Amino acid sequence: MTINIRPVQPGFVGEVTGIDICQPLSAADVAAIERGMDEFAVLTFPKQPLTDDQQVVFSANFGELEIPLAAQMAAPETRRFQKLELGDISNFAVGSTEVLRARDDKKRMYALANRLWHSDASFRAVGAGYTLLHSRINPSKGGNTEFADMRAAYDALDSATKALVDDMIVEHSIVYSREQIGFTVEGDSADLKPVKHRLVVTHPVTGRKSLYLSSHIGSIVGWLIPEARAFLRDLTEHATQRQFVYSHPWEVNDLVMWDNRTVMHRATRFDDLKEKRDLRRTSIKGVGLAVDHVPVAQAAE
Amino acid sequence: MTLSFAPLTPTIAAEVSSIDLTRPLTPEQVRAIDDGMDRYGVLVFHDQRFDDETQLAFSRNFGELEVSSGAEMSKPEEMRLKMEMADISNLDPNNRLRAADDRKRLGALGNRLWHSDASFRAVPAKYSLLSARIVPPKGGNTEFADMRAAYDALDDATKAQVENLVTEHSNAFSREIIGFERQDYGPENQDKLRPVRHRLVRYDPHTGRKSLYLSAHIGGIIGWPIPEARAFIRDLMEHATQPEFVYAHAWKPWDLVIWDNRTTMHRARRYNDLTDVRDMRRSTIRGDGVTVEQVQQAA
Repeated sequence: MTINIRPVQPGFVGEVTGIDICQPLSAADVAAIERGMDEFAVLTFPKQPLTDDQQVVFSANFGELEIPLAAQMAAPETRRFQKLELGDISNFAVGSTEVLRARDDKKRMYALANRLWHSDASFRAVGAGYTLLHSRINPSKGGNTEFADMRAAYDALDSATKALVDDMIVEHSIVYSREQIGFTVEGDSADLKPVKHRLVVTHPVTGRKSLYLSSHIGSIVGWLIPEARAFLRDLTEHATQRQFVYSHPWEVNDLVMWDNRTVMHRATRFDDLKEKRDLRRTSIKGVGLAVDHVPVAQAAE
Repeated sequence: MTLSFAPLTPTIAAEVSSIDLTRPLTPEQVRAIDDGMDRYGVLVFHDQRFDDETQLAFSRNFGELEVSSGAEMSKPEEMRLKMEMADISNLDPNNRLRAADDRKRLGALGNRLWHSDASFRAVPAKYSLLSARIVPPKGGNTEFADMRAAYDALDDATKAQVENLVTEHSNAFSREIIGFERQDYGPENQDKLRPVRHRLVRYDPHTGRKSLYLSAHIGGIIGWPIPEARAFIRDLMEHATQPEFVYAHAWKPWDLVIWDNRTTMHRARRYNDLTDVRDMRRSTIRGDGVTVEQVQQAA
């Protein structure tokens, strides 16, 4: 079998065939996928019936796995998976794969913010690099995941805006994204405190600049809050224009992998009170990202 | 003289020529403008050299004037213009540029969100009339979105879902989005921030058309959990402000633009407001009534 990548959206999304990712990969295969990620930023792998364990093994080819904040903050008895590295992207009630979350379930409210454009774990000092999402059950309608190319979005800025954003430092927190839809994140975990990132990051391999935007951003260092938020909204609108976006309609056993350093994504609506949707997420800790570029004095504030 | 309307996009906005609006109008002319508003939602008139008096006189042709909410929430010494004239400028009462941290400036940044004027009132605005007196050299466009075309383009399932929804509007909600706090309006204005209710879908018996009554002032949907309501309203907003429903107006001095708040949303775009003057004056016509029965709220 030879690995083959077919452009779905040239320069942004590629479909990978000719490889069985349920099996251990050769170093050459891993390198080919990484090259594909650098070239495209989003790769889809159709018809890969991964088990949870196989997804974790496949993901570990690309770096150290991250523990999702939701799993970390959840009481052990409310966690769906024993493996902490496995993110539960489903609408199941605690302890069930039949009962759906109730309309006012707090986990449901928390997850609704995934419908805002974001970059995974950008609220951490070291945000996610790759995220890998595997589909098990899909609703009959809706529930796509959409991806926006932050390199193309950066390239398309006019030179005045590029100059304005190039050295901008912004603050990210999970609290901000939830606040936008009127949900208050409770707890005093250190993970809720804002972290600083550069708004423009340079990819460690390709050297391309991209906008490191995310709904987790609540302010710009040195700016008044209302001005910062109005500006960030404009920028997000620019960066998620149709020409930068790919919408993925899920098939069971699709695995989609994207680079959070160069891509924002969001879930789209489906009838989550009536239909099941079950995906499993693994994420790789980002390297060469953002915080490394923040001047030490500011990062330490 | 007959008014001529040149459409600016396939569905929304037209440019009107051959009329001087600063002089008294005949009933036929007023009717022609009203008909144009029904058809296009937004009308653009160039080279209308209004002062505040002539603008208000012209505006009264279309109904009762509304007091500007900005004026209503200001002390007399904070005002540059009279009560019926909304001050859409970056100037203070002494005609100086507002400072970066000026409270009025920060509140006005909420105008960069898509909204319908005065949707936070139980009887919201009908027309807004905006006259450009001084425009910045770059930026500061006003964009308009066609809420009738946006409604028509919804799929049947969504149309059925929104048909009878009732939303809650308050100025506090739109400002909260950009992190301008409710208390920054001052204790004397808190009662003016009490949410009012509106139908999400409005029907105009005159034109026979339905429209989405969306606005950044919406903070909730009656009967829905808040996060679900806000995520849904965001999706609807995104749908309703797609490029094919939008007309962007690049201002020239002495442009007058009239829009119908019942069938359009609008927003201001960024400009360099700390160095460039932008002076626009808005008069607003009060709507005909409530869109849904209001509920007395416990204090």
